[in-house]
Amino acid sequence: MKRALHLLLTLTMVIAVLAACSSGNNGNGANNGAKPTTGGSPTSEVKTTEPPKKVELKVFMSFPRFKDQFEQYFAQFKEKQLAEKNIDVTIQLEMPNADQAKQILQSRLSSGDAPDLYTLHANDIPTYYDAGYVADLTGQPFVGKLYEAVTETVKYDGKVAALPLESLSWGYLYNKTIFKEQGLTPPQTLDEMKAVTEKLQAAGIKPFLLAFQESWIPQLMMALSLGGTVSSAHPDWITKMNEGTASYADVRSVFDIIDIIMANGTDKPFETGNEAGSAEFANGNAAMWVQGSWNAETILKVNPDMDFGVAPLPVSNNPADAMINLATSTSLALSPTSENKEVALDLLNYILDDKDSSALFEELKFNPIATVHQYEVFPWVNEASAYVSEGKAYLDLKLPNGVTDETAKLLQSYYIKDVTQDDIIAALDKVWQTAVKSN
Amino acid sequence: MSGSAQSYHAHAHTSNSTTNSTSNNDNSSGKTMRRLGSASMFLFLILAAVVTLFPIYMALLNSVKTQGEMLTNILALPTTLEFGNYADAFRKTDYMRSLWNTVVVAAVGLAGIILFASMAGYKLSRTPGKLSSFLFGLFVMSTLIPFHSIMITLVRISSDMGLQGSAVGLGLLYIGLGVAVAIFLYHGFVKSVPKELDEAAVIDGCGEFKLYFVVILPLLLPITATIAILNMLWMWNDFLLPLLILTDFKSYTLLLSTNMLFGEYNNDWSAILASLVLAMLPVIVLYLLLQKYILHGISEGAIKS
Amino acid sequence: MMTTRTRKLKPSAMLLLFVLPALAFYCAFTLAPAIGGIWYSLTDWNGLNPAYRMVGFSNYVEAMGDRFFLKSLWFTFKFVAFMLVLQNAIAILLALFIEAMGRSRVWFRTIFFMPNMLSLIIGGFMWMFIFTRVFPYLADQTGWLLLDESWIGDPKYSFFSILALSLWGGVGYLMVIYIAALQGVPKTLKEAASIDGAGAFTLFRHVTLPMIYPALTIGVFLTLNSSFKVFDAVYSLTGGGPGRSTQVIAINIFEEAFSFSNRYGYASAKAMILFGIVMIITIIQLAVMKRREVRA
Repeated sequence: MKRALHLLLTLTMVIAVLAACSSGNNGNGANNGAKPTTGGSPTSEVKTTEPPKKVELKVFMSFPRFKDQFEQYFAQFKEKQLAEKNIDVTIQLEMPNADQAKQILQSRLSSGDAPDLYTLHANDIPTYYDAGYVADLTGQPFVGKLYEAVTETVKYDGKVAALPLESLSWGYLYNKTIFKEQGLTPPQTLDEMKAVTEKLQAAGIKPFLLAFQESWIPQLMMALSLGGTVSSAHPDWITKMNEGTASYADVRSVFDIIDIIMANGTDKPFETGNEAGSAEFANGNAAMWVQGSWNAETILKVNPDMDFGVAPLPVSNNPADAMINLATSTSLALSPTSENKEVALDLLNYILDDKDSSALFEELKFNPIATVHQYEVFPWVNEASAYVSEGKAYLDLKLPNGVTDETAKLLQSYYIKDVTQDDIIAALDKVWQTAVKSN
Repeated sequence: MSGSAQSYHAHAHTSNSTTNSTSNNDNSSGKTMRRLGSASMFLFLILAAVVTLFPIYMALLNSVKTQGEMLTNILALPTTLEFGNYADAFRKTDYMRSLWNTVVVAAVGLAGIILFASMAGYKLSRTPGKLSSFLFGLFVMSTLIPFHSIMITLVRISSDMGLQGSAVGLGLLYIGLGVAVAIFLYHGFVKSVPKELDEAAVIDGCGEFKLYFVVILPLLLPITATIAILNMLWMWNDFLLPLLILTDFKSYTLLLSTNMLFGEYNNDWSAILASLVLAMLPVIVLYLLLQKYILHGISEGAIKS
Repeated sequence: MMTTRTRKLKPSAMLLLFVLPALAFYCAFTLAPAIGGIWYSLTDWNGLNPAYRMVGFSNYVEAMGDRFFLKSLWFTFKFVAFMLVLQNAIAILLALFIEAMGRSRVWFRTIFFMPNMLSLIIGGFMWMFIFTRVFPYLADQTGWLLLDESWIGDPKYSFFSILALSLWGGVGYLMVIYIAALQGVPKTLKEAASIDGAGAFTLFRHVTLPMIYPALTIGVFLTLNSSFKVFDAVYSLTGGGPGRSTQVIAINIFEEAFSFSNRYGYASAKAMILFGIVMIITIIQLAVMKRREVRA
């Protein structure tokens, strides 16, 4: 844990330094960076006299917002396979929304109908690996390209279990233009946050954007407030929870910031999904949004000039407790039952391709995670990295399977006052215990 | 079938003329009252019809607009017809394949239900005795079981049998789920088929199966049509079971593909509306062509069960 | 002796032969899952793990104390009550009015039945468009604030959204049944009553209604049956949310079994409770209606 945190800290530093360098010679850097060493030429000796072998891959990703980008990238892969190995790959790409994805995936895996490649949250790797749904990827070419700190986040039992896609340092997003106009800086304590919301309200600006239609978004509030609270004031809470000697009641203060956000949010949150929320945020309908920087592409698509930053969410009145969350979330795993492992592995490795990967990750506005990623780091990443280098960061908490999903539902209910804090505490304690027992 | 549908209309006309003739006997104030009543009823029906058609109309209207035009005026007629939405929806739902899958599911289910249920219903109705009534009771009992009470185990069973993930497999499940009600309907109908026919055929040296296929099955046509319509509607529009069974999206039915598109393009209403119109299309066309039979079948089915 | 035995055997053997295919499918996909459901409801089976233990009735005990399950029960009951009254009343009203029309009746019948042909998933998405896009637009244009409420996101209102969608999709079916029943009411009876000077309402109350009582039994039965199992309408409009505020029983069971927690055993217990409730209500209702029918 400590070691991984240390590694991630150094990683973000490295990225910051790299960013400074690459921005200097960016003009030709992009061209130089694309090394044509593994291009098509050496293997494409296979003359296409014989008809190409037909292979079908099923890929399951919970990224509906990136469907176009991945479809295009996979089309490139298809060409490459045909040229190099004379294999005609058909990729069946399926992208359900994040709320449905897990349920669909689980029913497929348990019915033995697993997709060849599928995305899962890095925190779920242990559960899926133990159930035998994840193939060991140790020794694959892409592993050598990953930053070591990132590799750590997808390792389980000493083996690389998935290819990380999103490695993040995240907090909440804020509209820099609005903050500048109102003379505000990101608050570090609860009292400061209250003052900021009052000032924004007085100026007729909605402080927080609420997009609660998809339950994973309200859940982010708890991820940050619990993460910050536990990492600062209750470092042994997770261990105690797993032993059954702690309760969510011990960290009841996690609701303080959530209450502030909910009391100062935009209207009709349950009719606002991620896409609609991104559009509203991009158009300046609210000053802040508890949402990760993984959403940057969706926001900038609506308004390319949108100037937003990333800040740590205050969880108490101690400014040191406001910290950035370091996490690897969506990762791509290979099913051990895949009938076309060779091609699936090729596709997996192609995601960190020396030549093409950088452009993909830049387009998706993901953080660079491997040495092949040569693009200039985005400003919001640098902003987050600045907090990280001050030591204001923690590793994303690993909660038992099911707790995050239950939290998501409960926070929706909390907003409409269908449940109280005590109800949430009782319900989450119960889910946690059930999950621990079933392992 | 068509005979009864015609009499239905003839009936409608006579009832109409009788109301007119009776109203002649009334005094004039009663007449105006009745006219007024009739007019307000008509108005009410028109209003109700508008409400009923409104969502369908809005879906049609906005499915040919660009997203921008939809935002500026949602009620206005489109200035240009944007059929790109349809091309989009057609591709994203993999329309032809989804349609084909739906047809496969319904065809397998329907064939099985009609064949097996008519055989069983006929024999159960004709055979007296304890065994027969026990079996019949066994089938009838299940009509009370809500689907949600059995779905969990049903999914498990179908996965163990390797039926999960295939359209044909789903069709087979529908046979097991639909056969009981169909048997009940056949059982009742067979009573109206004279027994003398069976006996005559047997004397002619007709085997049991030949008797059933050649003599009985054609006679069951009216109730078969009702059963076909009821089951077709059910299978075509069922969502939950396909959602649980069709894990592979290559075997998705129209409804599942539409649902998937809805999840993926949450905010892109023009594509969603186009996909909804596409999904409705086969049913609406079928309905407008066959509505006499469908309406008749529905009321028959409901009254008999 | 021989011949009589074969004669005796033959009908039952033949019976089995004819019934067997149907019976096989029925046993595999209806009876076995029903019995299996009872069995699993007594276990802690989690769907993935092949091993499970018997836990007696503890799943049932837990379900009776599960606030979300109880809430979904209550929500469903409320929904059923509203549907029972509204769906039948509207359907009878439409049927009566349509029967009084001339040539236009065919048109009206066609229109009102049309939604019934569509899946409520499709209908739900269309209504979602109306509730979240068209209503706010209309509210903007007309200043009619009621239209600007959160029809999908606020459980106070989304109950009525779900109700509206269900009525939209279900009324046509009952209307067809009531029309058929009304056509069975002898004209002479109505004429006699109206010559006696009976008003339209008295005519309906004392002549028409008693005559369509059998149809009312069917209508109530069908409504009960379908609205207790409501799933599609809720799934497509609110998904049971926000949180679990619009969960009906079917959604609650579905989520328990197939969403994240995968507690098949526990979900089976809930499914059996649903079975029990449907059974009891159906029996009571059939008994009551039959008795009233006889009296009327």
